[in-house]
Amino acid sequence: MCTYKLSRSELVELQNKRLRLLVKYVFERSPFYRRRFIENGIDPESIRTKEDLRRIPFTTKADLRDNYPLGLVSSDLSQIVRFHASSGTTGNPTVVAYTKQDVESWAELNARCLEIAGVTPKDVVQVSYGYGLFTGGLGLHYGAERLGAKVIPASTGNTKRQLKLMKDLGTTVICCTPSYGLFLAESARDEGLDPKRDLKLRVGVFGAEPWSENTRRRLEEQFVESAHDIYGMSELNGPGVAMECVMKDGLHVWEDHYIVEIIDPNTGEVLEPGEKGEMAVTTIMKEGMPLLRYRTRDITILDDEPCECGLNHARIKRILGRTDDMLKIRGICVFPSQVEEILMKTEGVSPHYQLIVDREGVMDRLMVRVEVSEDFKTDRLTDLVNLQQKLEEELKDTLSIHAVVELVEPKKLPRSEGKAQRIIDMRKI
Amino acid sequence: MIKQLSVFLENRPGRLANLLDVLERHNIKVLAMGIAEAGNYGIVRLIVDRKGEALEVLRGANMAVNETNVIAISLNDLSSAVRTLGKANINIDYAYTMDCQRVILKVNNEAEAIKALSGAGIRALDV
Repeated sequence: MCTYKLSRSELVELQNKRLRLLVKYVFERSPFYRRRFIENGIDPESIRTKEDLRRIPFTTKADLRDNYPLGLVSSDLSQIVRFHASSGTTGNPTVVAYTKQDVESWAELNARCLEIAGVTPKDVVQVSYGYGLFTGGLGLHYGAERLGAKVIPASTGNTKRQLKLMKDLGTTVICCTPSYGLFLAESARDEGLDPKRDLKLRVGVFGAEPWSENTRRRLEEQFVESAHDIYGMSELNGPGVAMECVMKDGLHVWEDHYIVEIIDPNTGEVLEPGEKGEMAVTTIMKEGMPLLRYRTRDITILDDEPCECGLNHARIKRILGRTDDMLKIRGICVFPSQVEEILMKTEGVSPHYQLIVDREGVMDRLMVRVEVSEDFKTDRLTDLVNLQQKLEEELKDTLSIHAVVELVEPKKLPRSEGKAQRIIDMRKI
Repeated sequence: MIKQLSVFLENRPGRLANLLDVLERHNIKVLAMGIAEAGNYGIVRLIVDRKGEALEVLRGANMAVNETNVIAISLNDLSSAVRTLGKANINIDYAYTMDCQRVILKVNNEAEAIKALSGAGIRALDV
C-alpha cells in the first residue's frame, strides 16, 4: 500500500508514466480503442501526459452498451477471472471483466479506503452492501479482508438479523447505503435499542447513492460515531475509487490508479479545479477492461489543495448529483440531493421523501411528499400548515420552481435497502 | 387539567378507521374527539380513558402522536367561562364538546386560565 503516500509531484509523474503504458496497452490489445485512435488520427506515442488526454474522445455508457457484453475487454479472455454486471434499466446490463491483478488492485484500493477512515485490523466490519453481481458487497469485503479486519458478509436485507449480528459479534464498522443506514437506525429504535449506546459502530462507510451533510449529521447522531462517504462505480472496478479521510472534507481519489478530469457536460471542455462539472476517469492500472476518459455522469468539483490528513491525492467534493438523475422541470435542472438537503435540516419531518413529477397540460408539476416525523410535537394545525409553507418556500428559493409539499404519515413512504427510489416521473414524453 | 392526544393523520378514507381500530384492539375507550383538517391531512384530538397506554399503543403503531393539557368544564358553565377567560386576556385556541355535558377547551395559558375560572366559581372537571 506504499504508493499512496507519494508527494504531489511523484504522483503526477507516476500518473503520466502509467498513462503512457496504458495507451500503448489498449492500442495493442483493445480492438475498440485501436479503432478509435485510428479513426481519429491519434498516434498513441503522442499521448505523454494527462493534458494530452484531451485529444482522445470520451468513452461513454453507450459505448459499453453498444459493445455488450465483452467488446471493451482489452486483455485476453483467458486472463479474466471475474465478471460483474450493473443493472441495466433499459436494455442490456453493463458487464465489467477483471483479471487476477485487477481483483487484487481493487482489494487494495478498498483496504486503503477503510484505512484512511480509521479502520484497523482490530475492527469487525459488517458489509451490508449487496453481494453478487453488484460490486458493492464484494468490493468492501475484499478490502476489509485485505486490511486484516474481521469481515461479516451480511449483504442487504434481513434487518433483524443485521442488528443481532451487530450486537452479538460486536460490529465496529458498518458498510451500507446511507438510506439503509438510517433504516437500520430506525429499526434498532423500533426494537428498543439505542444504537449509539447499545451498539459499537465507530465508523460508517456509506455510498452507492448521493447523500447530504445533513444526512451525515443524522447518521452520526443516530447510528455511527463517524460517517464517511465512499465513491465508485463498477465500470471503474466498484467502490474504492475515492474515500473521505478523517477530515471529511472531500473524497481522496486514488490518483495512482485513476486520472480524473472535470468536464463541462455539454461541450466536453476540461475545467479547472474548483469548477463544477462531470467527472471523466481514465483507469491507468486496469488490465481486464481499462477505460479512457470514461464519463461517469457524476457531477462534482476537484480540489487539489493539500489535505490536513497528509495525503497528496486530490479530492472530489461529495457528488452533487448525476447528469442523468437530474430532473428537468419546467426547463430547470433539479437534483434530488437539493431537496434532500432542505428536508434534512427541517424540524418536524423525517428524512424519508418522494418526488413526484407530472404534467398538467403543458406545465410540469413537482410534488414533494415528506413524512411527518414520529416525534411530532404539535397539537396546532397552523404549525403543520406553516411547516408545509416553509418547506415550499425553501424549495422555491433553492430550486427556482414552485413545488407542492404533501405531508404524509410516518412509515408511509417506501424504504429501500439498495439505492433509494425516490423519484417518480409520471410524464410521458 | 386533563390530557388530550393529538394524532397526525392523512385526510383520506380508512385512516380514521385505522386509528380507532388500534385503540379498540387495546380496549381503550374514546371519550371525546375533534378533528382539525387542512388539505390532505389533519390532526385528530382525542380524550381517552387510559391515556398512558393509548400513547404507548399508538406510538407502537408508528403513529405521529403527542399529548397536550386541556381543560374540561361543564356545558352549563360555558358562557360564563368564555367571558371570564376573555376578560383575563386568555385565548381559547380551540374547543369541542364532550358527551352533551362537558366542553373541552385548549387555552394558551393553562395556569392563568384555571386561576381565572376558579375566581369566577367555575370548576375544571376531571374525566
